[in-house]
Amino acid sequence: MPVEAFVLPKADLGGFVAKLKADCEVFGPVAKDTEFVFGPVAAAEDLRLDYDTTILPPKKYFHRPMETLFKFDGAVEITGEGEEVGKQVLFGVHPCDINALLSLDRVFLETYPDPYYRARRENTVIIGLNCIAPCENGFCSSFNTGPAMDKGFDLALTDIGDKYVVEVGSAQGKELAAGLAAASEADLIAKNQALRACQQKITRRIDVENPGELLHQNVEHPKWEELKEECLACGTCTTVCPTCFCFGVKDYVDLSLKAGERPRTWDSCMFYEFSRVAMDHVFRPDRAARIKQRIFHKLTYFNQQFEAPGCVGCGRCVSTCVKSIDPVEIVNAIQANPNPPREVKLYTPPAKKVTPETSPWVPQKAVIKAIKQQTKDTTTYTFAFADPKVQEAYTYDPGVFNEISIFGIGEAPISISSCADVKDSFDHTIRAVGNVTNALAKLQVGDIVGIRGPYGVGWPVEEMKGKNVLLVAGGIGLAPLRPVIKYIQARRDQYGDFEILYGARTPNDMLFTDEFDEWRKIPNTRLYLTVDIVPPGVEWGHNIGVVTTLFDKMASRPENTIMVTCGPEIMMKFVVRGLLARGFSPEQIYVSLERRMSCGIKKCGNCQIGPVFVCQDGPVFKYADIKDLPEEIF
Amino acid sequence: MAKPKIAVFKFSSCAGCQLSILNIEDHLLDVAGAVDIAYCVMAKRENREGPYDIGFVEGAVTSPKELLELKKIREECKVLVALGTCACFGGLPSIKNFAGPQREMEERVYTELWDLKSIPAHGIDYYVKVDAYLRGCAIDVGELVQLVKSALLGVNPHFRPHSVCNECKLKENVCLLVNKGKPCMGSVTAAGCDALCPSLGRPCEGCRGPANDANAASLARTFSVDLGLSRDDVRRKFLKYAGNTPEFKKGAEAV
Ligand SMILES: Cc1cc2nc3c(=O)[nH]c(=O)nc-3n(C[C@H](O)[C@H](O)[C@H](O)COP(=O)(O)OP(=O)(O)OC[C@H]3O[C@@H](n4cnc5c(N)ncnc54)[C@H](O)[C@@H]3O)c2cc1C
Ligand code: SF4
Ligand code: SF4
Ligand code: SF4
Ligand code: SF4
Ligand code: FES
Repeated sequence: MPVEAFVLPKADLGGFVAKLKADCEVFGPVAKDTEFVFGPVAAAEDLRLDYDTTILPPKKYFHRPMETLFKFDGAVEITGEGEEVGKQVLFGVHPCDINALLSLDRVFLETYPDPYYRARRENTVIIGLNCIAPCENGFCSSFNTGPAMDKGFDLALTDIGDKYVVEVGSAQGKELAAGLAAASEADLIAKNQALRACQQKITRRIDVENPGELLHQNVEHPKWEELKEECLACGTCTTVCPTCFCFGVKDYVDLSLKAGERPRTWDSCMFYEFSRVAMDHVFRPDRAARIKQRIFHKLTYFNQQFEAPGCVGCGRCVSTCVKSIDPVEIVNAIQANPNPPREVKLYTPPAKKVTPETSPWVPQKAVIKAIKQQTKDTTTYTFAFADPKVQEAYTYDPGVFNEISIFGIGEAPISISSCADVKDSFDHTIRAVGNVTNALAKLQVGDIVGIRGPYGVGWPVEEMKGKNVLLVAGGIGLAPLRPVIKYIQARRDQYGDFEILYGARTPNDMLFTDEFDEWRKIPNTRLYLTVDIVPPGVEWGHNIGVVTTLFDKMASRPENTIMVTCGPEIMMKFVVRGLLARGFSPEQIYVSLERRMSCGIKKCGNCQIGPVFVCQDGPVFKYADIKDLPEEIF
Repeated sequence: MAKPKIAVFKFSSCAGCQLSILNIEDHLLDVAGAVDIAYCVMAKRENREGPYDIGFVEGAVTSPKELLELKKIREECKVLVALGTCACFGGLPSIKNFAGPQREMEERVYTELWDLKSIPAHGIDYYVKVDAYLRGCAIDVGELVQLVKSALLGVNPHFRPHSVCNECKLKENVCLLVNKGKPCMGSVTAAGCDALCPSLGRPCEGCRGPANDANAASLARTFSVDLGLSRDDVRRKFLKYAGNTPEFKKGAEAV
């Protein structure tokens, strides 16, 4: 079907804008000093439709630099939502930025839709503006995201001299075009000529058939080390990028110290502390690794994750970078001097999508029913949701996690340490290491916290059926594996031999010690314990040494066995190596990973390892699926 | 809960950071309601002895006498906060560390040299353990209030020492470096000031010290090669506020 097209004489632009302003706010490109920004348009004269690019992309109207998720008063009472969203028109959006919004839609609307982004999307009319002259640093034609748009707009304007051709992209657009004269054949020809001429003038281009493959083949390349010396780690490139979505979440209180709000704020993978978790552990401390994360995310990971372009070639990251670091130049440099081609397998995420009815940001109230001290710094809490209906409907797989909130302090991802066979409550076993976990340590039976979840993919208890199970845990890593033990115990005849290997630093650091005898009594089950050191005066009748020293004692063999492990990453590394050496295959090995998490629902981007979202693709992974990621794990 | 006892001390500095504390009048009323300011020579006449719950120290340590005082203050304060860039990194007083032989410099500045006992200027964590840092010349009052609130709640405020550029871009400032060719240090300087200077059209001077993983050497090369700054100018830029830090030292030595 041919698109409906009209014409808007430039002389009539003022009237057209005035009509729009009658019932919405209008935003468009306006001048700021020597540059342009998207800002409020008081009258058509403000509009600078000759703009090349803007400092921030129009993304800022949908995914706000700072968005209040909710307001609170006290540790669990929500008193208000974020900002109300009014009806608005974005006038003069270029094709790259429109395509970027379509990419962001995948992030914010697909799984756990974000209510704020959605409300802003639904309340915004987009009047696009095709490009008739290339901008200085753009390379949109590399991705077919410009210079002309074919979707994502209500109306699309093309400048053909003294008038604009106005194409209709939606029913709402059609209404707005009411009263305009239809475009003539000559107008449409002029439009096509203008766009083709622009297309031909675009010289900057990423010219690779499969950028993902090229980058995966060149994870190690001198270019990255060169960039590490140049890049300032200032994060400007991601701040100005129309497809970057990462954010952090932090609570702010007023002077009452009780009431406040929980906003999300744009974050950047270029920052050193982006991947920082408790105890100041940073997963991506190396600048070269962070540059790779950005470039790979833009040119391949995003595509793998969302099947949409992660870079739309707007050129902003190039124009604003003090060091002129440029994706086009990077790809060209690698192309000019590539590593020998080798076959690479690009990670594809699980297809799972969840679309709950309620806001994914709002936790449910949960009451502490019981508290049990496990070690000096670790405690098991038994919770039940305050609303019996919520508790009744609550179920989860072994190995998944919840986000636990104390408003004013923050939120932390914590694995569920119980098995869903228990219906009226659930457990979390928590080590006090920082703000939220220390605040939890001060709570008492009857106190209330906020909990949202369950999130993620857990242990493969279905796949394990009919097979032998080897479970290897280190320290607090036993918490997310305890549900597996309970699960097998309740369905003992469905599983083969079961061996549990558990190591801790000292005997006093062992969790669930009072349950060990019960576990030993599970038929056909063996429990092996080990500690790194035994302090003087402590009795210990078991193994001493790292957990892998138990491998010589265990009966488990690769045949028909699944191995599940959780613990410090360094421990899991040696466990996996040891088992591979003993003939286990990566297909038989499952690991649970930890990363910084600010959402749990595939929105904040904090938990990414290469193309993987640990929060939703994991936290439990089949080792075979992740062992060859460009961003090495272990 | 008893109100936490707060003390404010001053070493070699201009008193600007303390003044910022006094300037937060509207906040101060509320904060002062929540805290007990037990010692602050600049704000009150009657000052009480320690121990204190939170001690704020302004200024760099530049003499043996100050050093002894600092050690006593550390013992008296449960939480010790470095107030402002001088206390964090040495600040402006630390320029003297890089200005040539100490005696020559002292002769240029003072006439009576016999009683002068000066040591190189350092931030207070050169000598004692510091629990929190409020950067800036002068400090950002919003950060101060956030720190006090966090202390009252018993949590770490988790300040984010990423670049000033981040805050600058969020305000959609036209870039002074890229678009105007001015030697702005925002890309390697820790944020938290809401990009105060660049928003007023003035290049960032680096007063908050290095951002996390700051690559000052790379910026120094840009200053020298692209903006044509002399070697001495580049050195002066990186040694002005935080030349004691390894990050900015690298910038100073890069060209
Ligand atoms: C899937 C998963 C399951 C987990 N399960 C368990 C479990 O069962 N039991 C358990 O005890 N722990 C578990 N953890 C670890 C737990 O989430 C962390 O210990 C917890 O988040 C610490 O939060 P905190 O507020 O107490 O610590 P803090 O150190 O106060 O805060 C930690 C968070 O704050 C941020 N942060 C820290 N330092 C800075 C900084 N300097 N600047 C800015 N931000 C900073 C980071 O985002 C970090 O993630 C799990 C983690 C994951 C990812
Ligand atoms: S804008 Fe340039 S210098 Fe800054 S982090 Fe990005 S690539 Fe590095
Ligand atoms: S990576 Fe750069 S060119 Fe690509 S969309 Fe982002 S800002 Fe634009
Ligand atoms: S991880 Fe991707 S989306 Fe997030 S800041 Fe980095 S480049 Fe942008
Ligand atoms: S003006 Fe300075 S602080 Fe702002 S973006 Fe440019 S370099 Fe960064
Ligand atoms: S995307 Fe936010 S925690 Fe995974």
